[in-house]
Amino acid sequence: MGKSPTTKDDAQALFQSLRSAYSATPTNLKIIDLYVVFAVFTALVQVVYMAIVGSFPFNSFLSGVLSCVGTAVLAVCLRIQVNKENKEFKDLPPERAFADFVLCNLVLHLVIMNFLG
Amino acid sequence: MANFSIATVFIASISLLFALSNSFSLENPTDRRILVLVDDLALKSSHSIFFSSLQTRGFELDFKLSDDPKIALQRYGQYLYDGLILFSPTIERFGGSLDVAAILDFVDSGKDLIVAADASASDLIRNIAAECGVDFDEDSSAVVIDHGSYAVSGTEGDHTLIAADDFIQSDVLLGTTKIEAPVLFKGIGHSLNPANSLARNNARVLFSGSLDLFSNKYEIFCSSSNHQCKRQGAQIITCNRYAKSGNQQFVTELSKWVFHERGHLKAVNVRHHRVGETDEPAIYRINDDLEYLVEIYEWSGSSWEPYVANDVQIQFYMMSPYVLKTMSTDKKGLYRTSFKVPDVYGVFQFKVEYQRLGYTSLSLAKQIPVRPFRHNEYERFIPTAFPYYGASFSTMAAFFIFSFVYLYSK
Repeated sequence: MGKSPTTKDDAQALFQSLRSAYSATPTNLKIIDLYVVFAVFTALVQVVYMAIVGSFPFNSFLSGVLSCVGTAVLAVCLRIQVNKENKEFKDLPPERAFADFVLCNLVLHLVIMNFLG
Repeated sequence: MANFSIATVFIASISLLFALSNSFSLENPTDRRILVLVDDLALKSSHSIFFSSLQTRGFELDFKLSDDPKIALQRYGQYLYDGLILFSPTIERFGGSLDVAAILDFVDSGKDLIVAADASASDLIRNIAAECGVDFDEDSSAVVIDHGSYAVSGTEGDHTLIAADDFIQSDVLLGTTKIEAPVLFKGIGHSLNPANSLARNNARVLFSGSLDLFSNKYEIFCSSSNHQCKRQGAQIITCNRYAKSGNQQFVTELSKWVFHERGHLKAVNVRHHRVGETDEPAIYRINDDLEYLVEIYEWSGSSWEPYVANDVQIQFYMMSPYVLKTMSTDKKGLYRTSFKVPDVYGVFQFKVEYQRLGYTSLSLAKQIPVRPFRHNEYERFIPTAFPYYGASFSTMAAFFIFSFVYLYSK
């Protein structure tokens, strides 16, 4: 009993530090994060749906989920490349990174459309 | 002396599987011309009731002595007879061109045969029987004795004249009228070889270990003193008195069966189509609903009558039966059923294998291929998959919006 308020306080402190640290993140990275969260959430919804109705149009299921997963992966790649603090890609202009991202997305969605059924 | 327990065993009948023969015209399967071979023409009068019953039913009987040098079953490759009756147990060698091989060829071509032997059966007759899977008792002095069920008259104290009333339960073999009086039998025993595999062509063959079975002697014999007694141990438990033996009815009914006056089936008008259509397709698709129809008729001796049974089954067969269904009949000969083609594609067969005691075996097989769905036969949009479609399009829309927001957010 004596312990739980301490634990709660610790958790609060942790979240607050996380939030304050995250608020320092540049806006463009926050937009990417929101986009990734949306994609992962959509993928989870579909997996739950498949568990309920069964795997019958399995190709459609794969298309739906993989489009979300692919989107999330490409967005994370973009985030790595445009992050100013990442020194690995400091020679790569963010315009070039975004162009790569758009091209990859076009290919991804072309495949998804063909596989959707 | 061999001691056999009585049963219905004195008739060995072989009606075996299908291989369409030209023996009888398909329109009229009853035999017409019958060759009767006897050791002694006196048999003609001693067995006259049996012969006259055949003649009144329209058979042409050709009596010949079994050593007649002019005996021939065929001329110019055509059989002269539809049936053969061998009432010549003692003959060692037939006259003319007839021998064991000729008789077996006769049976193999779908013709019918009646062979009666007795204690004096010759090696020739035994050979014919053995080739057809029937082994007569080797011991020439052996007779069948039954101390449990015998006719009292005739043979005092000697139980070799057997009165049998335990017949095979088959209307097609013995007719629909019950044989009330016991059948008298005096002769040699025999057994059916279980490995017998001859004549699977619906030829019908009758072997009897008793020539007297067919004779007038037992038909009208001891009209007032014809007893049948049944014993248990030394105790007589029943003793029935009959005016007349059942032999006449018994051999008449059996000869009707042997000479295809009964139990001859034909299947015609085999057809199949999708439910709701009438044309027969060359190929089915998986999950099609189809209907299969066949007409089965039985020869009644003078006309084709509808065959009515509730156990005719159809198989939809590819290596093993995928569908096995009992067909329903309209009592006018038409059998039909409908079923769904299984969810498996390949080359199937419609199969009807109908084998019943005493009846012609029906064996129909018709090949039919089954194909899978074509690409454009699937549903274009599957309702279950709408969330997946939605997710795919929403990520696309999200990508579009994200690009704008990302590019103009600075």
